[in-house]
Amino acid sequence: MSQERNAGIEVEGLVREFKNGPRAVDGIHLRVAPGEIYGFLGPNGAGKSTTVLMLTTLLPPTDGTARVAGHDIRREGAAVRASIGAALQEAALDPLLTGRDHMRLQTTLQGIAKGDRRRRGDELLERVGLTDAADRKVGGYSGGMKRRLDLALALVHSPRVLFLDEPTTGLDPSSRADLWDEVARLAREDGTTVFLTTQYLEEADVLADRVGIIDQGKIAAEGTPESLKAEIGRPSVEATPVDRAERDAIADVLSRFGSTVPAPPGAAAVRLESGENLAEVVRALDAADLKIADLQLHQPSLDDVFLAKTGRKLDVSAAEEPASV
Amino acid sequence: MRRFLDVTYGVAYRSTKKVAVNPQLLLPSLIFPLFFFVAFAGGLSSVGNVPGFDFPSGYTAFQFVFVLLQASAFGGVFTGFGIAGDFENGFSRRLMLAAPSRLGILAGYALGAMIRAATVGVLLFVVAIISGMQIDGSGVDLFGLVVLALLVNLTASMWSAGVAMRLRSIQAGPVMQLPVFLILFLAPVYVPLDLLAGWIEAVAHINPVTPLIEGGRDLISGSDFQPLLVFGIAIGLGALFLAWAVRGVRSAERAG
Repeated sequence: MSQERNAGIEVEGLVREFKNGPRAVDGIHLRVAPGEIYGFLGPNGAGKSTTVLMLTTLLPPTDGTARVAGHDIRREGAAVRASIGAALQEAALDPLLTGRDHMRLQTTLQGIAKGDRRRRGDELLERVGLTDAADRKVGGYSGGMKRRLDLALALVHSPRVLFLDEPTTGLDPSSRADLWDEVARLAREDGTTVFLTTQYLEEADVLADRVGIIDQGKIAAEGTPESLKAEIGRPSVEATPVDRAERDAIADVLSRFGSTVPAPPGAAAVRLESGENLAEVVRALDAADLKIADLQLHQPSLDDVFLAKTGRKLDVSAAEEPASV
Repeated sequence: MRRFLDVTYGVAYRSTKKVAVNPQLLLPSLIFPLFFFVAFAGGLSSVGNVPGFDFPSGYTAFQFVFVLLQASAFGGVFTGFGIAGDFENGFSRRLMLAAPSRLGILAGYALGAMIRAATVGVLLFVVAIISGMQIDGSGVDLFGLVVLALLVNLTASMWSAGVAMRLRSIQAGPVMQLPVFLILFLAPVYVPLDLLAGWIEAVAHINPVTPLIEGGRDLISGSDFQPLLVFGIAIGLGALFLAWAVRGVRSAERAG
């Protein structure tokens, strides 16, 4: 088996059923190419984390199988674990130990040669900007610092495949951007395959080469962000009247150009039929003598894709519960 | 094998480093035995004058052996508390993810527990010697007593590790502690077995901890010692609860 194939992920009919519960993961199939960033998108409870737990050998599948970095997760757990790094949803850190202690522990656990442990730990602490805080107890770290330490710990043995389970949940925008840069660099410069779960559409859009949308344990859609948005195809146009009483009149005009889609209160919106353009919409509104306060053309987003594929919106605010660095 | 040892060392390093920089973590496993030692060896010292009490090294040494084994056992139980805490806060996943063989994690917890037990044991020895404890056993006897204490620690830590890995919650604390507490105090704690009477004598006779405490007392007093019986029981209990803990690791793996 080639080195190239060894760095990817192949999932065949993976199932996880919990006692007295629904199928958290219901027969998913997916492939992640070596060096690819794969965004695994879905709301809470969709099955993202359960999938990661199975792929990282922390939870045995009920059925199906997967190969991670060329190793079967059922039969070659130790080999899988030697090839992967993972930063799971809660940054599992010991508040009584320092960042440097964690590095020493992780380099030891991963079997880094004794003489290289200190150097490797210092190198990674520097890479994630924690050198100055290295000798402080982790209990005093901010949320962003803990996430960065967690990422550094996942990288001590230069894994070929990296699993990041909602790595930016709870981070402020600046910390989130720093983490995105580091993940992109890992894939681009080191050729690391990244399996990234997220409920933030923007994160998947910015980072992922390909996206899989999971809903109720099943893959609802898969492709590059561009191809998925192209499937939805048409942009939407949203108009807000100067006089709110004219909202229905505006909706009537817009309905000539496409199907109605949800809009904020006081506004009307339609998904444009193919061939229609904004200029024609403006001319029609002008011809009807309607005064427009705001007119916006929205290109399709992953949120639209999610809505189209699952019939529901993925309404998670990226700014939810920010934690500063 | 090297990776197994790496994991063992890593887990034991973490446990030892935590105690080194936060010595207050030793207090629970030190304070309780010290209290018993001071209360029993001091307050009950006249028990040594009771007719039929013929322990040659005096009541302080008689009590010290129980307190040493009690500290070792409780130290093992506190290891289980730590494991349960690791499951609750997710740290166990870090260990499970990094370990090629998860049994190395168990070995690391056990080694860390023994290092802490040895530290507590040394402190107890110092306190006992300062308080005038008489030691009549030889260096080999004392070494045997230390090995016995470490085996008790291993047994208790494997018992509590098995519970912690099955229940994976700190709320399992009483399940780990209560049986150890009961089995220790249903042994001849305050007086020799011959002086016990009634139901407690019957229970103490079949209690597997009784030969361990009496064997420890034989060692510290330099009396006739039955190594096959005492170490046989200690190693047997250790092996039994090691198997229990190994199955606990498998249970934790299945549960994720």
